[in-house]
Amino acid sequence: MTLVSHTAELATPRTPLPTPAPEPAEAPSRQPRRVWAKVWPGLLAVALAVAAWQIVFWTGWKPDYVLPSPGEVGAELLAFLGEPKFWQALGNTLARAVLGFALALLIGTVLGIAVSASGVLRAAIGSMLTGLQTMPSIAWFPFAILLFGLTENAITFVVVLGAAPSIANGLISGIDDVPPPLLQTAKVLGAKGFTIYRYVILPSALLTYVAGLKQGWAFAWRSLMAGELLVIIASKPSLGVQLQYYREFANAPALLAIMIVVLVLGTVFDGLFSKLTEIVRRNRGLGATRL
Amino acid sequence: MSAGVALTVENVTKVFGGHGQRTTALSQVSLKVADGDFVCLLGRSGCGKSTLLSLLAGLTQPTSGSVDTHGHRVGMMFQDANLFPWLTVSGNIELALRLSGVPRQSWRDRVAELLEIVQLPQAGDKRPHELSGGMRQRVALARSLAQDCRILLMDEPFAALDAITRDGMHEHIERIWIERGITVVFVTHNVREAARLSNRVVVMSPSPGRIVDDVAIALPRPRRMEDAAVAEQSGILHQLMDLHDTASALERLAS
Ligand SMILES: Nc1ncnc2c1ncn2[C@@H]1O[C@H](COP(=O)(O)OP(=O)(O)OP(=O)(O)O)[C@@H](O)[C@H]1O
Ligand SMILES: [Mg+2]
Repeated sequence: MTLVSHTAELATPRTPLPTPAPEPAEAPSRQPRRVWAKVWPGLLAVALAVAAWQIVFWTGWKPDYVLPSPGEVGAELLAFLGEPKFWQALGNTLARAVLGFALALLIGTVLGIAVSASGVLRAAIGSMLTGLQTMPSIAWFPFAILLFGLTENAITFVVVLGAAPSIANGLISGIDDVPPPLLQTAKVLGAKGFTIYRYVILPSALLTYVAGLKQGWAFAWRSLMAGELLVIIASKPSLGVQLQYYREFANAPALLAIMIVVLVLGTVFDGLFSKLTEIVRRNRGLGATRL
Repeated sequence: MSAGVALTVENVTKVFGGHGQRTTALSQVSLKVADGDFVCLLGRSGCGKSTLLSLLAGLTQPTSGSVDTHGHRVGMMFQDANLFPWLTVSGNIELALRLSGVPRQSWRDRVAELLEIVQLPQAGDKRPHELSGGMRQRVALARSLAQDCRILLMDEPFAALDAITRDGMHEHIERIWIERGITVVFVTHNVREAARLSNRVVVMSPSPGRIVDDVAIALPRPRRMEDAAVAEQSGILHQLMDLHDTASALERLAS
């Protein structure tokens, strides 16, 4: 009792010090600075790339109609933004990406759970999944075209084949790496069968799973671009079709503008998955050690 | 046949490792614990206390011999806190309540009550990695108390706590033991803690891990760490442990 009141007395002179006051005032001014700190490396990279490009352009290494200047391509890009056909192409490509990825998500997840839960399946499919993962998805297209013809299905088929193994593998290694003490704790708390999956194994595997999603997305996006270049469906505009089209008409500025769109989209989605990973990491106290 | 017996261990031997690197963690251990008893397992580091607890919890199987908890539900608090890092403090406790079949509408009150007991009333929304080691251990205690079990196994739950916080925890654990009428098997290497808490102290000795003594503690309750009787009792336990150490050393010399 006396000890407690004694320490309380020691603590009282400290409270009038104006330490807590500056914090709220500082917060808003820090916010833009923090955003800036995240944005500037990206901007610098873009600036460097554009500068290099401009310099190569100035050296006259290739004629203008093959390698246009950044300014010309930028103007083309701006012009695209006003064209309904461009937006249609973009929409079709994104819709395919989302559909393919969603299917891969479903199949990869079910496959991952099945393989991790069953020894027989693991022996049968486990190494095959890794094999599939190393297979360049473009190599699937001739077969896919034989199977499905020049159709949406051929593209979706390859996108799913490209992405699902990564997603399944991410989930499998996440499940395999659940720390044994946590499993024991779950058992002692009375979890078994489905509940142990629902409340312990899957949440614990989430981090590796999200990493698998990120990789799966990258594969899906690559497969999709390859697919749109190989499986041309005339009635349906898409970014891949645009690329082919502008190459055939030797329209280099438009070609490069579409490439930039493909690059930006890939980067944006990759950034979203990185953000997701970061949130999961931060929730588990793993954020601080990275950087 | 076993009316009044909460758990029975018969001739249990536990050997870890395969060829070459074999560790006999437990050798020929037999133990019967009465229903509603408070037993401390006391012994030096490495004498097989944690191994015995995980056998009792059914997490590992004995190499030979048998463990029977007579169908009672067994709860356990591990030596490491083992909190689920993706859940908040409240979430960890709620999961234990959920898995014990406690209806959802009473979770909030139960969590608040348990956090009060472990003296962390403000910590509900924190994540495990935001807590100190001793705080994590107390959350693990709260989580183990959230379980609806007849037998509670506790592995050095208070090893990381300061004396004052620990004394408070002792009172709570004693009260809960009395209120719920549960059986507690409590691992410690603190002689005084054993004398403070238990009805019975089972003394273990290492290499190979085995039970070397079994002492009834007949002191009246409530007890306190500073009580002269507790101090005296722990002195006796201490001497007992020294004695068994010497005996083991002599045995080893002889063989
Ligand atoms: N999973 C395991 N594999 C191999 N050996 C083990 C394993 N678990 C425990 N042991 C060995 O069994 C012996 C007893 O370990 P145990 O953890 O039961 O000791 P303890 O009495 O709990 O010690 P402490 O007080 O330090 O916690 C030790 O020699 C240890 O090395
Ligand atoms: Mg131990």
